[in-house]
Amino acid sequence: MTSSKTAAPGRLLAQVAGERQTGALVVGGHPGGAVYVLEGRVIYAESPAAPGVGELLTASGRLAGRTWQNALDRGTSGAQVGRLLVEQGHLTQGELELCVLGAIYDAAYFALSPADAPVEFLGGATHWLGPVVHVDPAAVAREVRRRARLLDDIFPDARVDTAIVSPIARPPRERISVTAPQWELLVHADGQRTPADLAFLLGKAGYATIQELRRLAAAGLLELPEVRGEAPEFVRLPRARGTAVDVRRPQVRPDDSPTVPVITGVRPAAPDPPAPTPAPSPALTEETSANGTVYRPPRLARRKPGAKLPKEVAGETPPAHPGTDEVLLKRIRTALRALR
Amino acid sequence: MPGVDHCLQEAMAIPGAVGASIVDYTTGFPVATTGAAPNSDHEAAAAGTADVVQAANSRSLFVSALPHDLLEDLIITTAGGYHLLRLVQTDFDSRLVLYVWLDRMLGNLAVARHRMQKLADDLVAG
Repeated sequence: MTSSKTAAPGRLLAQVAGERQTGALVVGGHPGGAVYVLEGRVIYAESPAAPGVGELLTASGRLAGRTWQNALDRGTSGAQVGRLLVEQGHLTQGELELCVLGAIYDAAYFALSPADAPVEFLGGATHWLGPVVHVDPAAVAREVRRRARLLDDIFPDARVDTAIVSPIARPPRERISVTAPQWELLVHADGQRTPADLAFLLGKAGYATIQELRRLAAAGLLELPEVRGEAPEFVRLPRARGTAVDVRRPQVRPDDSPTVPVITGVRPAAPDPPAPTPAPSPALTEETSANGTVYRPPRLARRKPGAKLPKEVAGETPPAHPGTDEVLLKRIRTALRALR
Repeated sequence: MPGVDHCLQEAMAIPGAVGASIVDYTTGFPVATTGAAPNSDHEAAAAGTADVVQAANSRSLFVSALPHDLLEDLIITTAGGYHLLRLVQTDFDSRLVLYVWLDRMLGNLAVARHRMQKLADDLVAG
């Protein structure tokens, strides 16, 4: 069964669980995620905002990247990565279960907390980790709601959860105290990392990271992102203006009989149909507008083949982003180690 | 293979044990539970457990500055019982505590503490 719709992910999970289905509940949007159920019980959950079992085990150094990659290579096809790690003696059953339980509740918070998101259930899908634990979906849903409340009790501002983490430059008081996890976050917040970046970098649960960040915000130690009045408008397309686009609409007179078939039936008052785009003219550099003037774009200076860049262009070095690069490089390093 | 359920079974085998759970102390969530809970509410007990551990841990009032001095366990005594909280130290990021509720008359604090130490270690022994 595959159904795609916009709904409350938690409600669909309850429905799927009630029908004792097996598959993956894929939640879109930001951050989104997926919850895997086996015969109505939750066996795994993942989200881009929550480090998974692999990230938790390798970032902490509990498993070498190579060990993890080996288990993935061997166990993915049979969906028994977790069992292999225990059988080969890399992890105890207790460690694996606790790690998976932590990862499930962590990812479920991000996947299931939105009240409304594009949700899709992929029937029959299984997770490569294999069934390690079986959790009651109702308990997961209850815990997700409780965690959301906990955060708001600490500091009721959800911007902290996603905005780039920037500690304030000057503490608001003479004496401040931070816990060890908070210290780690402050030290690694380089003005570019988001809470999710920090969670992956440090191998900490995404929710625990947000929780500490809200505590820091409540203590006045974080710069809060500026309040935006309205939803940001990322791209505004230019409106078609009289002289820019040559639009010739046929004059419609009531007595004209239609020359094309007309769809009859109730039709909502739709806006005017989009203006017919003019057919691409063969000469792309020239466009004749409605009033007959010819538009010629300015000619760009061209370099001869093999010529060097002009000094003012070549001299600029691309801006350095140490933070993002470091995360990326660490991931590449882990992957390369695994290949050795 | 000793998993979480096995660990809780063993905890219930401690003389005088009436209930046991493993609690995530950052969120106050009972990851796994068995047996009875004070006021028959494992979730409320877990939330209380988390508060106690946070208070002892986050302010580090009792952990000395000596290297590797860690909070190991907390013991709360009531007229009717003992409540033992043992921190489970995992190598990966987790904030877990093993909680066992003992009957005051039947339980033996020293025995229980010793058994819980072994259980918490075995659960994650690499």
